[in-house]
Amino acid sequence: MKKSAFLLITLAALAGTSSLALAQASDGILTVATIGEPPSLDVMQTPTDIVLTIDQHIFETLYTYDAEWKSVPLLAAAMPTISEDGLTYKIPLREGVKFHDGSDFDAKDVTASLKRWMAINSKGKQVAGVVESIAEDGDHAVIVKLKSRYAPLLATLSQASVIIPSETVADTLTTFIGTGPYSLKERKPDQYTQLVRFDGYKSPEGAPSNYAGKREAIAKEIRFVPVPDANTRVEGLISGQFDFADSLPVSAYERVEKSSNAKPVIFKNAGWASMNMNMKEGLLVKKELRQAVQAALNPKDMMLAAFSDDRFFSVDASIFPEGSVWHTEAGVARYGEGDPEAAAKLLKAAGYDGQPLRLMTSRQYEFHYKIGEVAKAYLEAAGFKVDLQVVDWATLTTRRADSKQWDIFITHSNFPGDPTTINTITDTYPGWYVSDQKTKAVAAYMDATTDAAKKTAWDGLQTVIYDDAPLYKVGNFNAVSGLANGVSGYEPTYWPHFWNVAPKK
Amino acid sequence: MARIVQAILKRLGGMAIVLALVVTVVFIIVRVTPGDPAAVMLGSDATPQDIADLRARMGLDAPLILQYGQFVLGILKGDLGQSIFLNQPVTTALAARAEPTFFLTLFSILIAVGIALPVGILSAVKRGTVFDQIVVTLTMVAASVPSFWLGLMLIQVFAVGQGWFPASGYGGPGTPFLDRLHHLILPAVALGVVNSALITRFTRAAMLDVLGDDYVRTARAKGAGEGRVILKHALKNAMIPIITVIGLSVAMLVAGAVVTETVFGLPGVGNLVVSAVLRRDYPVIQGALLAVAAIYVLINFIVDMLYIIVDPRVRL
Repeated sequence: MKKSAFLLITLAALAGTSSLALAQASDGILTVATIGEPPSLDVMQTPTDIVLTIDQHIFETLYTYDAEWKSVPLLAAAMPTISEDGLTYKIPLREGVKFHDGSDFDAKDVTASLKRWMAINSKGKQVAGVVESIAEDGDHAVIVKLKSRYAPLLATLSQASVIIPSETVADTLTTFIGTGPYSLKERKPDQYTQLVRFDGYKSPEGAPSNYAGKREAIAKEIRFVPVPDANTRVEGLISGQFDFADSLPVSAYERVEKSSNAKPVIFKNAGWASMNMNMKEGLLVKKELRQAVQAALNPKDMMLAAFSDDRFFSVDASIFPEGSVWHTEAGVARYGEGDPEAAAKLLKAAGYDGQPLRLMTSRQYEFHYKIGEVAKAYLEAAGFKVDLQVVDWATLTTRRADSKQWDIFITHSNFPGDPTTINTITDTYPGWYVSDQKTKAVAAYMDATTDAAKKTAWDGLQTVIYDDAPLYKVGNFNAVSGLANGVSGYEPTYWPHFWNVAPKK
Repeated sequence: MARIVQAILKRLGGMAIVLALVVTVVFIIVRVTPGDPAAVMLGSDATPQDIADLRARMGLDAPLILQYGQFVLGILKGDLGQSIFLNQPVTTALAARAEPTFFLTLFSILIAVGIALPVGILSAVKRGTVFDQIVVTLTMVAASVPSFWLGLMLIQVFAVGQGWFPASGYGGPGTPFLDRLHHLILPAVALGVVNSALITRFTRAAMLDVLGDDYVRTARAKGAGEGRVILKHALKNAMIPIITVIGLSVAMLVAGAVVTETVFGLPGVGNLVVSAVLRRDYPVIQGALLAVAAIYVLINFIVDMLYIIVDPRVRL
């Protein structure tokens, strides 16, 4: 009697310890309403959020991000062995992993995939500049040789550098075969992308943490349904049509909270909004004027206008948010309440002659537009003449490539795994941030081999960024999404994922 | 008969000229509009050099006149080009989206005509009564309501509130045909009600024009029943403006269901055009607009032919 009671208590305790206790294959389907149709499923070519969200279920990378955004093994068997000079990385690969077509995953697939990634992906091209060679070391290891030390290597191998069978590598992908917990069954553009459980999936070990750890395809099927209208996503969630609705307007929070079918989910510090400045041509080539922009602005007012309620944003001068290993106050300057007098002094010192400041923003992301409106008011209060140009996003991305057409554009990003992969830091990214002190600070970071040394180097780099003012960080924002009642095991992440998630019964 | 054939040939010649103009204007507008499919495809990480490289690979850096020549040559061969993002021919993409757009248009026009004809006729017959005044007021309200707003209200009441209809989409994998059509009811009502307002007003006005005419009085004097007078004598003669407005409504529905399809997440031609414009998928924009223009012109052609059938006095 005692023995059976003990057994029952033990089983009950085990069942309660983890959502993975629910991890029994289900016949249920998860219907996920996304913000629109992915432009492609080729994540190497098109590494946008919507593509990354869907593709992470199909494809896997060598490493992935854990809850602290550190790179940890996914298809790799362990962290790499790095030579003393920091130039050679030996990456062991997991054995027994299979692709959706039944073929074995091995080193040949890794070298072929990474070569394609380095040829067509923007981050991959940066890596290609420092890679001397990538070679197989037997079937279950690859060796990456670098021309110079490159601290963000593992971070770049954790996103979009997916591994596909070597036989399918081509300029244009026609089949989408990966090693992920779900395989692609059918894609009907503008209607659905249907993924089904991959029965031959071999999961990494460890407790789930962000994208890392054990992955189990509990739902039999995931359907990503494009629903471009945000209000329709809300109504579809509340009516029970969707199990998850991505990117809901903050104004819908209360409505979802009050509904009996669903609940809102907040993912804190999903990303940050920034104003990128043109350092190559035009008005803001002068550093004093860029610093005048910094001094003039009031980030809290801009974020409040954009996100309505401080539950959905935070104002933080550190480029990385609190809780991140990269969070630091080092070098923070001209960030606060908005100081028109200080800005006016800088304008005078720079000899500003009233030339209009071309501030480019888009209504495709409504918060970009609202930030632009408030920024215009503060900049004008400081003495700038502002030409606010509101265009659609496709126009903005084209115009920003031409240094003659703009002075500031508003954008947003997620927090990358490695600080030097922030777009603005790249010399060729629109804004063309080139300075001697930045080059030195980046070089110091690239040379760092320990976590402590990287942290110190990043402190130095953030200090330089605040001084050079290639961008103005406006603030961090939270993402609001909605989850149907009865769906369990969902953990909010930047790119929502649905392995380890049990559908409604 | 020779007169009809001559009219058809004349109209077909005009249609060809209109479509040639559409092809050219669409090509120019699409290329002049800022924005670049390469920039959209590569995402926000892309550098200007990455974008330029991809443009070259896509052939978008070729001289415009060459691209125009290839586009026109393709059309003559029945090839509208290859979608940049969908990785399929534009004709295939259009064909895949034809079903929801066709049935949405059909249901909408059936709803619109089903409301408008009886209400418009009755309103004219009962001119000046309370019923007529209510109809005049309601049609003004309905004509002022944007279909997307009405769509959202219908979703709130009948999808969220009652759960009778899905809030959006066109069904998942393997959804049977009738279930797919079930997804079209709310958007068709939203479009149909708004369009019925215009047709009702035209029907009422056309009927009022003819109800006072001598031949109607004569028919009544000869002892014809009121139903026969209204439906056979008056309505037949009032049909030309009514056919015109119905034809225009169908054409506008084909081209104008864009917002409704977006609100209801329907994978139709309108939704395809919106996605293509946002991504700057040039071949799809060009092909879809050409197809919509062709349908528009075709509907006008059919309306013109109906004029001849309804009223043999009409000369085109």
